[in-house]
Amino acid sequence: MRPTGIWFSSYAAEARVLETARARIWLGLLGAGLLGLPLVSGTWLLGEMTNLFITLIAVCGLFVTVGMAGQINIAQSAFVGVGAFTAAKLSGLGVPVWAVIPAAALASGVVSVLFALPAARVKGFYLALTTLAAQVMFPIVILALPMSWLGGLVGMPVAPPRLFGIGLGTPAGLYLLGLVLAALAVWTSYNLPRSRIGRAFRAVHDNDSAAGVMGIPVTRIKIAAFFVGALYAGVAGAILAYLLQFVTVSSFTLFASVWYLGMLIVGGLHSPLGPILGVIFVTLVQEGLHSAGNAILQSGSGLGGGAVFAASSVVLGLCILAALIFEPRGLAHLWTQTMTAFRLWPFPRN
Amino acid sequence: MAATGGAILEARALGLRFGAVEALKDVSVAIRPGDVHALIGPNGAGKSSLLNCLSGFYHPWTGAVLFEGRDISATRPPERARMGIGRTFQGIQTYPSMTARENILTGFHTQMTGGVFAGLFRPPGAVRQEEEFTARAEEIIDFLELEEDRHRIVGDMSYGLRKRVDLGRALALSPKVLVMDEPMAGMSPEEKGDIARFTLDIRDRWGIPVVLVEHDMDVVMDISDRVTVLEFGRIIAEGTPDEIRGDERVIAAYLGGETEAEEDAA
Ligand SMILES: Nc1ncnc2c1ncn2[C@@H]1O[C@H](COP(=O)(O)OP(=O)(O)OP(=O)(O)O)[C@@H](O)[C@H]1O
Ligand SMILES: [Mg+2]
Repeated sequence: MRPTGIWFSSYAAEARVLETARARIWLGLLGAGLLGLPLVSGTWLLGEMTNLFITLIAVCGLFVTVGMAGQINIAQSAFVGVGAFTAAKLSGLGVPVWAVIPAAALASGVVSVLFALPAARVKGFYLALTTLAAQVMFPIVILALPMSWLGGLVGMPVAPPRLFGIGLGTPAGLYLLGLVLAALAVWTSYNLPRSRIGRAFRAVHDNDSAAGVMGIPVTRIKIAAFFVGALYAGVAGAILAYLLQFVTVSSFTLFASVWYLGMLIVGGLHSPLGPILGVIFVTLVQEGLHSAGNAILQSGSGLGGGAVFAASSVVLGLCILAALIFEPRGLAHLWTQTMTAFRLWPFPRN
Repeated sequence: MAATGGAILEARALGLRFGAVEALKDVSVAIRPGDVHALIGPNGAGKSSLLNCLSGFYHPWTGAVLFEGRDISATRPPERARMGIGRTFQGIQTYPSMTARENILTGFHTQMTGGVFAGLFRPPGAVRQEEEFTARAEEIIDFLELEEDRHRIVGDMSYGLRKRVDLGRALALSPKVLVMDEPMAGMSPEEKGDIARFTLDIRDRWGIPVVLVEHDMDVVMDISDRVTVLEFGRIIAEGTPDEIRGDERVIAAYLGGETEAEEDAA
């Protein structure tokens, strides 16, 4: 709820996400800080941040498909892969980055529609199986295509991105590319719930039979939800391709798809804040485990890298379970509650 | 009974079976503009089945559904919503994770424009349209006295309020006829009174004819212009409330002494 003293004189003002001047100032400072980071940071942090942006974009897409429209999708990593291979192929042909990114988004969107056409007619477990099929078929198809198309088992090199004659292949350039596109992803996922199509997504999620009677074309809306979610995945894939400089099918696994879903669940399925908090939280946990794992490995305790990998999966699983049991609305809900309590302090929240 | 003169929505000789159950047998009803038209009958009489045929959820095996004189039997629910057949549901069928106002806004889906691009990037045209339809949603919120609850999540609301939100969403369709299945079931007398008042206002102020199923005979007799009585999938009587009150078959089959039991069942 809103504290007293915030009121609106038009519906457009009420619909703004950032209600107060203070909120806008905070966001401005955050933006300036993130833009300025390459001036002070080393390449390791920039690379980590770029990865975080890529993950955030992919999870924003899942927020649309799974969070808003309620269509389970365990193939987001494959859709990221479609974007990555598209970017690799096009960059090899000399296409500039401003054209590669929308093309990668569209390619993923189109591929997702191929799977959504059957998927939109089934629910729950069968829908999960259909999207699983997309994930499983992705490497099979790439490997079955002629080597000269998408590189087959070997993979494909990616030409460094250039924008208006400026090379973006440096850590700072990739970081800024990721930052701008992640900001775009967050902005659009805050826009969607306040739109006609976004409400149709949520209506289909909440009660698809009622939605149908109320004039919402349910099957088309479900397909659109996959399409939009995969647009984000395609963008994420394109940046990832530029970052890795080489794409192979083995980078786009079912495992990654599950991690994306886990981050969304931990962050919160029902708020665009969910992807942000979920990605940051899980990335921090992963990094923490990684450092701990390295420390253990160096201490010579005999634990192998496999154990560290397994441990991080177990911890992610526990995080998801904890979220589902204790706060199904995720960190986003905890955050909103805390902020409300803070604004109303010292009065109790009702 | 097939007097079609000026009927906005009409069922002609509908027949519908579920396995061995004959849910509807040769049912003909004509909804006239300016009427509140009640369907009554014992549980399982086929009232919901008839409404579902009118709104396209069920497809009758025989007979036809006509809207403004046109045969619409082959159309599906979304198309019928677009044509102007609004409906509310038996039980709770709102969108629980959305606010009252968002629920009502979804009712404008067919009248608004803008797809994926407008949703993602909120161009100025889309913002203007949002504002315009928000203002229209607010008119409905005013009418249904939901001002205090506009930003509440519908899943947290009381049953009575949710039914009101359901009604608001149906009104957002700007329907030419409104079909309501047991809008007052499970409500307190005050809440029933509110819905009865809204129903009459919808007829008079908004000029929308209403078809409704209701078990509470007092309310039905108070607010209806016409009453159709169903039993075992057949029409056993049709007329004004006074005619129905005096109809011997209705008294025998349904009204006499059974009214209380029906109310309890509702
Ligand atoms: N989808 C369905 N599948 C199978 N049988 C159905 C279905 N819908 C209705 N029926 C059957 O058709 C008959 C009429 O049901 P309907 O729901 O239309 O009655 P109703 O008059 O609305 O009753 P109530 O007052 O209990 O709501 C009942 O015998 C019911 O069991
Ligand atoms: Mg019924």
